[in-house]
Amino acid sequence: MKALLIVWKKELLELVRDRRTLMLTLLFAPLLGPLLFLGLATIGESKAKEQMEKPMAVAIAGAERAPNLVAWLASQGIERKDVADPDAAIRSQAEDAYLRIGDDFGKDWREGKPALVEVVHDSTRHDADIPVRRLETLLGQYNQQVGALRLLARGVNPGVATPMAVSRKDLSTPEARSAGLAAMMLPYLLILGAFIGSLQLVLDTTAGERERQSLEPLLATPARRGAIVSGKIAAACSVGIVSLVLTLLAFRVGAAFAPGAAKQLAVGFGEMALMMLVLLPMVFLGGSLLTWIAAAAKSVKEAQSYTTVLILLPMIPTVILMVSPVKNQLWMFAVPFLAQNQMLLQVIRSEPVTAMQWGVYLVAAFGIAAAFWFAAIRRYHQERLAVSA
Amino acid sequence: MIVAEHLRKTFPGKGKDKTRVVAVDDVGFEARDGEITGLLGPNGAGKTTTLRMLYTLMQPESGRVLVDGRDVAADPEAARRALGVLPDARGVYKRLTARENIRYFGELHGMSPAAIAERTKLLSEALQMEDFLDRQTEGFSQGQRTKTAIARALVHDPRNVILDEPTNGLDVMTTRGLREFLKRLRGEGRCVIFSSHIMQEVAALCDRIVVVAHGRVVADGSTDAIREQAGRDNLEDAFVHLIGSEEGLHA
Repeated sequence: MKALLIVWKKELLELVRDRRTLMLTLLFAPLLGPLLFLGLATIGESKAKEQMEKPMAVAIAGAERAPNLVAWLASQGIERKDVADPDAAIRSQAEDAYLRIGDDFGKDWREGKPALVEVVHDSTRHDADIPVRRLETLLGQYNQQVGALRLLARGVNPGVATPMAVSRKDLSTPEARSAGLAAMMLPYLLILGAFIGSLQLVLDTTAGERERQSLEPLLATPARRGAIVSGKIAAACSVGIVSLVLTLLAFRVGAAFAPGAAKQLAVGFGEMALMMLVLLPMVFLGGSLLTWIAAAAKSVKEAQSYTTVLILLPMIPTVILMVSPVKNQLWMFAVPFLAQNQMLLQVIRSEPVTAMQWGVYLVAAFGIAAAFWFAAIRRYHQERLAVSA
Repeated sequence: MIVAEHLRKTFPGKGKDKTRVVAVDDVGFEARDGEITGLLGPNGAGKTTTLRMLYTLMQPESGRVLVDGRDVAADPEAARRALGVLPDARGVYKRLTARENIRYFGELHGMSPAAIAERTKLLSEALQMEDFLDRQTEGFSQGQRTKTAIARALVHDPRNVILDEPTNGLDVMTTRGLREFLKRLRGEGRCVIFSSHIMQEVAALCDRIVVVAHGRVVADGSTDAIREQAGRDNLEDAFVHLIGSEEGLHA
């Protein structure tokens, strides 16, 4: 136990002396995530707002066949503009969408038959979604208005054409509603930060120590190998926790200054404490897993090539949930990364986490971390580990 | 006092050749207190592997090692406590000062801060390292690094000292200083083992020489005894004769 503390103290002292790594671990990494995330949220939001409210100019092919519709659209903020070849303009992404009035529009209109209006667009282009939705909504409104007027002209109550009034009632909490984008990205960024926050230190204390040939003298001291490894993992976890606290604080402060929906991420300190508790096992898992992996490498470079793959690991549940969202089930709380993802979402959405979920989660997460911690100690008992070259 | 008895160690073969590489075949010797025992042998003779078995970094496949009469396999930690080791790898922590490097090892040996400070003072005087003691070791010369590594290996005042090629890469003056230091350790009644492939160095310093070639002891005794055994007046000739005849046997 004493040797553990000695190793822990020495590794942290070395880190503090190494300004560049210290900055990278404790300043750059915790700040980059929040900056990136809040920046994206702000840009996305301002763009959506712009497309929803700003007057929009849209090409209308065959406008002369429906002058009333064009005039009505103009009153709703849709200007008409001329484009020589609108199909080509959409393919070359110069235009988001355009309207085509059917050839027989005037005739059908007069005869009271449905007259054709097409919204032409490219569904694979995400930035065209909002203009298309705007056009469809406006056309639907016009359709209803004219339809009601026609019925009135024939002495019929327009209500008879609407047997049902279908409407939605949304029971989601305001927090959950605003969390759309955040729900996708935030857990990943936080889990990744907690998982590899200690990467630089681990590489330096394990593979780096072998590379610099100082491991063999260390193992020739009476200190137990278990204590030496545990001291190194403890140092990694200490750094990971500090980095995690800084990341959470950066999110909190950043979100408070961000405009619009991103502001909703400015969670209370109670939620931050919960997030901290959710991510704490991740720090231990990362520290012990990285130590286990890096201990097998002969040089920092070799260890880096193994660990870069790990950055993708926390992404897997996020991506799977993006593609096929699933309901929470108890077994999920035993799977690393997936469990953290689900629990962070619950915290962000202000949903309660049951005692059962906490129990399964904490036992599983700390159990896996302990398994890797044990594996790292076993690895330090191998003879070939001590031989540097 | 360190006794090695019939040590043997092999390593798995690399590549297509799956036969195990025999690093140490059968090495046994006795290193007494108050004597300097030299492990002499060409490169690849198995000196470093033998020493690694002495300080419990590797386990011998057969044979055993006794330090101060106790089997090291029974209690490796106690054995390491009784040994001061300068391994082949002598990297120091470059962001710590020489003094902090020494202190770290003293703490791992369970020493009190006062005892560490006292031993550091003593060793830094003996090794003439006062002028760089409080500098970070990044950018140290080879000699400064070796001195730091020796000081930290001896911080706990061990009865037995094992040095693996301590003069590697050192200039003449530093080597002379180191030689005086080793004689001083002998004068204090310690058991000193050091390995080298340089014959003159062993001849100048050692009370007993153990000549190792191809993982076996080919000669063991004082300088005179070895000259006598080989039937040569010159120690260098004797050394070449001993190794050469062994190579003849293997051919």
